[in-house]
Amino acid sequence: MRTLNLKVLTVMVLLFIAGTNANAQEKKLTGREIIDKAYNLPTGDDQTSDLTMTLINKSGSERIRKIKQFTKDFGEVEKSIMFFTAPADVKNTSFMNWSYDDPDKSDDQWIYLPALKKVKRISSDSKSDYFMGSDFTYDDLGDRKLDDDTHTLLREETIDGVDYYVVQSIPKDEDYMYSKTVTWIRQDNFIGLKKEFYDEDGELLKTLKIKKFEKISGFLIITHSEMENVQKNHRTTIQLSNIKINTGIPSSKFTERMMMRGI
Amino acid sequence: MKTKGLLIAILFLTGQMVFSQTNVGIDGFVRNYTSVLYDNGDFNMLQNTLNLDFNMMGDKVALKANPMLYLYGVDSLDFRMREIYLDLYFKSVDLRIGKQQVVWGKADGVFITDIVSPLNLSEFLLPDFDEIRIGVYAAKLDYYFGNNTIEAIWVPVYAGNELPIPGSIWYKSPEFPAPPVFDYSKENIKPTLDNSEAYLKFSSTSSAIDFDLIGAYTWDQTPSMHIKKVFEPDSLGNPVLSELLVTPEHHRLGIAGGSFSSTIKNFVIRGEGAWVDGKYFQTADPMATDALSQNNYLHYVVGLDYGIGNLKLSTQFIQKIILDYNDYLLEDEYQNMMTFLAHYDALRETLHLEFFAYVGLDHPNALLRPKVTYDFSDSFSILLGSNIFMGDTDGMFGRYDNNSMLYTKIKYNF
Repeated sequence: MRTLNLKVLTVMVLLFIAGTNANAQEKKLTGREIIDKAYNLPTGDDQTSDLTMTLINKSGSERIRKIKQFTKDFGEVEKSIMFFTAPADVKNTSFMNWSYDDPDKSDDQWIYLPALKKVKRISSDSKSDYFMGSDFTYDDLGDRKLDDDTHTLLREETIDGVDYYVVQSIPKDEDYMYSKTVTWIRQDNFIGLKKEFYDEDGELLKTLKIKKFEKISGFLIITHSEMENVQKNHRTTIQLSNIKINTGIPSSKFTERMMMRGI
Repeated sequence: MKTKGLLIAILFLTGQMVFSQTNVGIDGFVRNYTSVLYDNGDFNMLQNTLNLDFNMMGDKVALKANPMLYLYGVDSLDFRMREIYLDLYFKSVDLRIGKQQVVWGKADGVFITDIVSPLNLSEFLLPDFDEIRIGVYAAKLDYYFGNNTIEAIWVPVYAGNELPIPGSIWYKSPEFPAPPVFDYSKENIKPTLDNSEAYLKFSSTSSAIDFDLIGAYTWDQTPSMHIKKVFEPDSLGNPVLSELLVTPEHHRLGIAGGSFSSTIKNFVIRGEGAWVDGKYFQTADPMATDALSQNNYLHYVVGLDYGIGNLKLSTQFIQKIILDYNDYLLEDEYQNMMTFLAHYDALRETLHLEFFAYVGLDHPNALLRPKVTYDFSDSFSILLGSNIFMGDTDGMFGRYDNNSMLYTKIKYNF
């Protein structure tokens, strides 16, 4: 298991973070500008939440992971810490991640395994790894950088009375796990409500759907999403609860001391 | 009696106040562990385990108790209180008092600066590492400033390594040139202030590197064997070696060292080293007192971890160097070992394949530990593994070449 960019978990998918742009419809935006707006909308200085991840296999059986997470933006570095509360075999495991604005600087990550009673530094692996056996990769959860892909506005659509931009993103790295993604982004608040992921052969691999978003402390936050692997017929849901924003989490929360102490 | 009652009432009320904002939890597992020797088909392990983990956690105080019950065979019970301690949290200081396991260092599967908690070696190195450590009665104080920590530990009651006993498949009787007679009168260390152990560590975490520096004034957790020759005259009146008087005795050690870990791209590089002052080694030097020689030694490890997808790889090189070496010493001057780990997760992290190996380089020998674990659910898992000892019987692993085994562990977490 690895940790992920905290910004990621707290907001779930930066791509789908809300924002407003009153002039958005008055001028023609490029695909890159639309994605940029979605990536860079304000999310608050700090955030606390409970995350429930449900892994559902093709027979319908479920496995549930629960995490208490904290994140805080310190300017050039964003720090996050996660405490696993379920299932029992990973309870009290914790992760800490320091993510830097500098695109050339890799994340720093640590894991505390209660059975080993020590904090270990781990490498920030490939962003294509799946998070905790789920259908979300780290990139899917928000680690993707804007200029990792070439973004093209394909068209505009209206679905159920809501206007969307439909943006295609093709990775610049030809060896990347997806050949392309297509995202439906609401024009009124830049939340992406649907995203399709295509495999290296150009076949549809996964579909992400946003089931629910809420306005909390002035920020639109995705609170329920579902990723379905249509080729393997399994899916993962992520739900956030007890979300608190800008509560002034102390910097001492993001330390080895807290990883070992737990919650 | 009144005073005692009053004290209990005060403690109770204090507890009520302190723990009024606490989280209380009970976790644990039940496990069946069965293993069979390849050599003769004997079941060398039929063990059922109940592990309970009680936690009461508040903002300023926490309690933990970790009793563990082992049932061997049908009716042989072994109860252990692995840990029981009280935590007090202050703004920049944490204080932990009670029986506790302390883990130091960055190495995996080897113990270099990880010197505070002794080891239960009654089943060699096979138990899980959280079970191989023995808790020590200690007071541990951590002072935090920034991302740095100073840790001071005082251990008033000595606890040593637990070694295999005669009759165990892991017991190897030492060879003597004459019948030994053991005198255990000096083996125990009385719990006095003079006999306390003290440990100090400074650790720092940063983006570039994590490191720590340690120092210890401790006891050698394995006793030195003081051997005196007893001579008796033969029929011609010439002295003949008749027996050896063997007196196990612990000695003080001074230890200084440190460890570090850092990342370079997808690699984690780790290192750990210790300089040990005052160790007694067995010697064949006829001029040596009690067949012992006091030599300092250096012990270190360097390691590299790498991850690609669901595959994790790790290797370590470990070396021990005895300083001021002479050819009478029974241990080798240089002792070299490597470890290898490959771990792969499949089927959405429900199937785990792992291979771990210790490889002794001087007397080529090894312990190979392949295992496969399948999680039937979030709580229930089954493990099938093997411990394969091979190589030179003078090596620390090859000497157990009759103890290679196949084993299963069925575990339910709650």
